[in-house]
Amino acid sequence: MTDEITLDELRGMAVHAGLTLSDDELLKLLPGVNRAREQVAELRRLVTDTAEPAGAFTALKDEMA
Amino acid sequence: MTPTDFCYLTISEAAASLRRKDFSPVELTKACLARIEGIDGKLHTFITLTADRALMEAREAEKKLQSGADRGPLHGIPIGLKDLYATKGIRTTCHSAVLENWIPDYDSAAVTKLQQAGTISLGKLGMHEFAFGGPSVDAPFPAVRNPWNTAHIPGGSSSGSGAALAAGLCYGTLGSDTGGSIRTPSSHCGIVGIKPTYGRVSRYGVVPLSWSLDHAGPMARSVEDCAILLQAIAGYDARDSASANVAVADFRAGLRDGINDLRVGVPRAYWFNENKGTDPETEAVFNDALKILDSLGAVIIEIDGQPFSNARKANQTILVCEAYAYHEKTLQATPMKFGSSVRRRMLEGAFLSAADYIAAQRARSVLNEQIRANFSRVDVFATPSAPRPPEAFESMDPNEQNLRPNFTNPFNLTGLPAISVPCGFTAGNLPVGLQIVARPFEEATCFRVAYAYEQATEWHKQRPPL
Repeated sequence: MTDEITLDELRGMAVHAGLTLSDDELLKLLPGVNRAREQVAELRRLVTDTAEPAGAFTALKDEMA
Repeated sequence: MTPTDFCYLTISEAAASLRRKDFSPVELTKACLARIEGIDGKLHTFITLTADRALMEAREAEKKLQSGADRGPLHGIPIGLKDLYATKGIRTTCHSAVLENWIPDYDSAAVTKLQQAGTISLGKLGMHEFAFGGPSVDAPFPAVRNPWNTAHIPGGSSSGSGAALAAGLCYGTLGSDTGGSIRTPSSHCGIVGIKPTYGRVSRYGVVPLSWSLDHAGPMARSVEDCAILLQAIAGYDARDSASANVAVADFRAGLRDGINDLRVGVPRAYWFNENKGTDPETEAVFNDALKILDSLGAVIIEIDGQPFSNARKANQTILVCEAYAYHEKTLQATPMKFGSSVRRRMLEGAFLSAADYIAAQRARSVLNEQIRANFSRVDVFATPSAPRPPEAFESMDPNEQNLRPNFTNPFNLTGLPAISVPCGFTAGNLPVGLQIVARPFEEATCFRVAYAYEQATEWHKQRPPL
């Protein structure tokens, strides 16, 4: 389990993200945000030390065309 | 042939009839427009109908075909476009108030290719707002209804693309798929849809939801029609950073080769029973479909479903982060312009960190390897396309998708080609789809398996009671 964030914390995070959201809207967002954070915690347990992020960038893109 | 029969022809049947001069592209187009006028008021599949333009294109196609300038099986065929494909001079809304009046000055790559193939565009189709969230109940356009039962959702996000085909309003459509948005409405509406391999079809001019998960693809009423449409839109495009410079096979060449000795992997253990599990009626229909594949010579092999189950978490994390990044400025400036469903899902991405996003992309690498490792033992994967039949609007639960296994999004995460083909109905007469997944760039294998199954059954010939 990851620590759940509170409405107060979410309010502060929203301000830092440049979002103007009412308390009612933040309250409706809170369960989804906590679920998303829990999911990430579960993903971290799957990641091996050598795993690099999947990515689309390749320096050879134009040459491959 | 009744006017309804006329509207339910497949593309390959209509193409053959056009060349026999049984009827003309103008007659085909007028039949679709008449049916749209007659029944779309209760389905809401079209946001923008371009009837005059369609008739002009149909007259042009008629002249060309008469003169022998035949562009192939799509020439003179009326189609519809999900309203996130940019169309020059035609409003492209993404079913959202945010883009309610956007008129692009360019065409998306897939639209250009379909125009070059001689299709006739009837207009732009409804969808889930920005291809995310649920049915758009508070968007400026009504939510699309399921032709099999208008009290039920058609699935999304390519809801109009699926419903219009099931209702016989056009012969082919374009959809897009970031977590199942082609395959879910295909399943719920009883039609065929393929999410090609990541990079197979250019996304140039398709409004993004999540760059690393978005796929463009076709939907139709038969497997062969899907192959015809994919043939027209596949291929490398330097304007799409993810486009793959891989040769495009003839997708119809091996359709009739059968599936004798083909190894079908079923990742049932630790996945189908996840949380609330797969709806028992859906799983029973799926098991019957496996028996048909077995009778056609395939070998059914049960495999470990755990990595497939884990894929949902990575897919959802990447999706909300990328979707938020794309829409950040609008969400900061005018958040209430978005419908509540899509707004709340996208905003989740504002509260995850860069490290969280990278963790999901690292997990993606791990899961991709684990899932693809199965191809040493099997040739394709088979699952139900959706874990349950389409819900009723009235009892819809926005959290439902997290309480059931998600059979589609592992293949957005891995980029593997995946097709949904009709495989039966529930007792309530709602369609169920069978998903077949193949190795990268082996769409032809998806088509071959789906075609063998389709030809052994009658599900694709059923019509909704409209």
